[in-house]
Amino acid sequence: MLRVEGLSHAFKNGNETTLVLQQIDFRVNKGDMVALLGSSGSGKSTLLNLMAGLMKPTEGSIYIADHNIVKMNENKLAEFRREHIGFIFQAYELIPNLTVRENIELPLVFQSTRPSIRKQKALKLLEQVGIPDKGEMFPSQLSGGQQQRVSIARSLITEPSVIFADEPTGNLDTKTEEEILAILKHLNKTMNTTFIIVTHEREVAQQTQHIITLRDGLLEKSQPAVEMDKLPVEEAVH
Amino acid sequence: MRVSDLTRLSWDQVRRRKVVTMLCAAGLSIGCAAIILAMSIGESTQKIVETQLTSYLKMDEITVMPDNGASAGPGSQSTASDEVKNRGKLSDQKVEIMRNIKHVKAVAAMQQLSYMQMTTSDDKQAYAEVIGTDLNSLEAFGNTYWQGSASDAPNSVVISYGTTLGLINEEEQNKLFDAMNLNPGDPALQEQYMTMMTTPSALYQKQIQLMNNDQDNKRKTSEALRVVGVLKKPKGVSDMQIANDRKIYVSIETANRLREQLMQSSGEETANDTYNQVTVKVDAEENVKQVEEQIKKLTLNTQSNLLQKESLEEQFAVFKSIAVGAGVFILIIASISIIVAMTMSTYQRRRQIGIMKVLGANLSQIRNMFIVEAALLGLLGGLLGVLFSYWIVWGINALILSMSTGEENMSIFIPLTAIPVGLAFAVMTGIISGIYPAVSASRTDALTAIKRD
Repeated sequence: MLRVEGLSHAFKNGNETTLVLQQIDFRVNKGDMVALLGSSGSGKSTLLNLMAGLMKPTEGSIYIADHNIVKMNENKLAEFRREHIGFIFQAYELIPNLTVRENIELPLVFQSTRPSIRKQKALKLLEQVGIPDKGEMFPSQLSGGQQQRVSIARSLITEPSVIFADEPTGNLDTKTEEEILAILKHLNKTMNTTFIIVTHEREVAQQTQHIITLRDGLLEKSQPAVEMDKLPVEEAVH
Repeated sequence: MRVSDLTRLSWDQVRRRKVVTMLCAAGLSIGCAAIILAMSIGESTQKIVETQLTSYLKMDEITVMPDNGASAGPGSQSTASDEVKNRGKLSDQKVEIMRNIKHVKAVAAMQQLSYMQMTTSDDKQAYAEVIGTDLNSLEAFGNTYWQGSASDAPNSVVISYGTTLGLINEEEQNKLFDAMNLNPGDPALQEQYMTMMTTPSALYQKQIQLMNNDQDNKRKTSEALRVVGVLKKPKGVSDMQIANDRKIYVSIETANRLREQLMQSSGEETANDTYNQVTVKVDAEENVKQVEEQIKKLTLNTQSNLLQKESLEEQFAVFKSIAVGAGVFILIIASISIIVAMTMSTYQRRRQIGIMKVLGANLSQIRNMFIVEAALLGLLGGLLGVLFSYWIVWGINALILSMSTGEENMSIFIPLTAIPVGLAFAVMTGIISGIYPAVSASRTDALTAIKRD
């Protein structure tokens, strides 16, 4: 489903070159829920941006649904993202002047889907994320947890091949964090959607099936979450 | 992306950003209103001037004169000159041919005698232009009778409505003029003069006489003439203008007699079967040129008022171009405000643009959203401009009405073509001004835009 091969990325700052990712290789199967775990500066966000096609790597290939996204131009990538990639942001990133339902429908708007079909799908997803009565409200009228549920529903509306979640619980309290993770796990199971969750929290990563640990731009470990659970805290996250 | 979604998303921004929308729409509305007003004032003034021109100059009439050829040079043979004159005579035969030309409605000889003093039986006096013509043809030339009708009876005259105005006896006239000379600014005297000039006298079936001074300054008085018809008061012209249009129509025979009675012989008698001048009435203005060309083939000189109209149209075209140019200039200035406002808006919304790009919006979709937004601003400005121009025209008309005597039919109207033209200019200005911000928005780097510090 997702294949990362020999991926390296360097930032240039004047004459100085900083290598942020080095020779990363891993694969994620369809329906997997994978965590990219690492501390600040480990390169996990850069890796997420590269996999989402928001940046071009210095070296290597990224295959999503057998398409090498590294070779795609900006418009092709936009089209590809529209069809195959879903996004969940840490700060939800909902459009404030659109209603909750309109926010969820937005990716389908760019696909020119008929309004009636969009509405039907959005209402179904609102039910799945547990806020069926909030469709006509505006994001500012919702709590953080509810806004993240909207963001999850929006990421699912195009039925993408993979959903990237960037610190999805980073702005939430513990109780809401648990609720959101439960929703993600439920959706992963029921809809067989592939999730890649970027996090620096070991507890969040442990909710997934597989954990890829990054340290100083290198892939340190790639192991099932259950195995990590057995390690002491210091070793699990550097 | 569906057009309805594009419009909805763009309209949402227009509605939400009230201050930006208001500023942009205000600038555009002024430009749009300026264009509509320029076109309206241009068209209305042209129409008013044309109507007045038509009422005086008669656009559908051709004046035909004999073609005497170029003046003979000193060495030229007089017989050759006479031959040219004979060929160019305005004869009965040629008048008959003219009557049968396609699009000709009527042909009548018009002999302008001169301005002469007219005296009524109760000693009131005024000056009028005496014209000899076929009285029965007056109706064919667009005149209608208010009182009476044409008559073949000898010494019959038909007078224009203006001839009935401003009649006053000599003593009263001298008294009024003396008082006016002493107090030129006195409004009461001005009012008295205006009332005198616009008060009609009953002349129908009355007797009048014409007077003229000969070369020896001897006053000659004509035989008594009877007013058998008074023409209708023209519409859309003020009483003062009507009072200046004073005409007395007599038959050709009467005109010849009056010439003998009142004027010195010119020594060049007109033969009975030829005319000095003939007027041809054409069924429509657009056929005048064609008829004129055919008449010229009869070795006759023609004169119509088309040239005056064409020159008037040229002058108005220049005026309209200048006025529309001023409107376009205002729109260009307004477009700068749109560029600035929308560029700022692009900067403020770059995070939103970034999110949309991450969610799958491509370059053209982002660009189109901004262009539609600019077009909507243009449309809004245009609609406001239409509203403003109606208000301004209404104001101008109210001002004209309050300043006029109510006789003139002078008002500014908005031609139907001006509204789509004004709207199109406003929308086009919006779109053109929106191109740069739209392109700039579409080039926003999604990653930079969504990054939080």
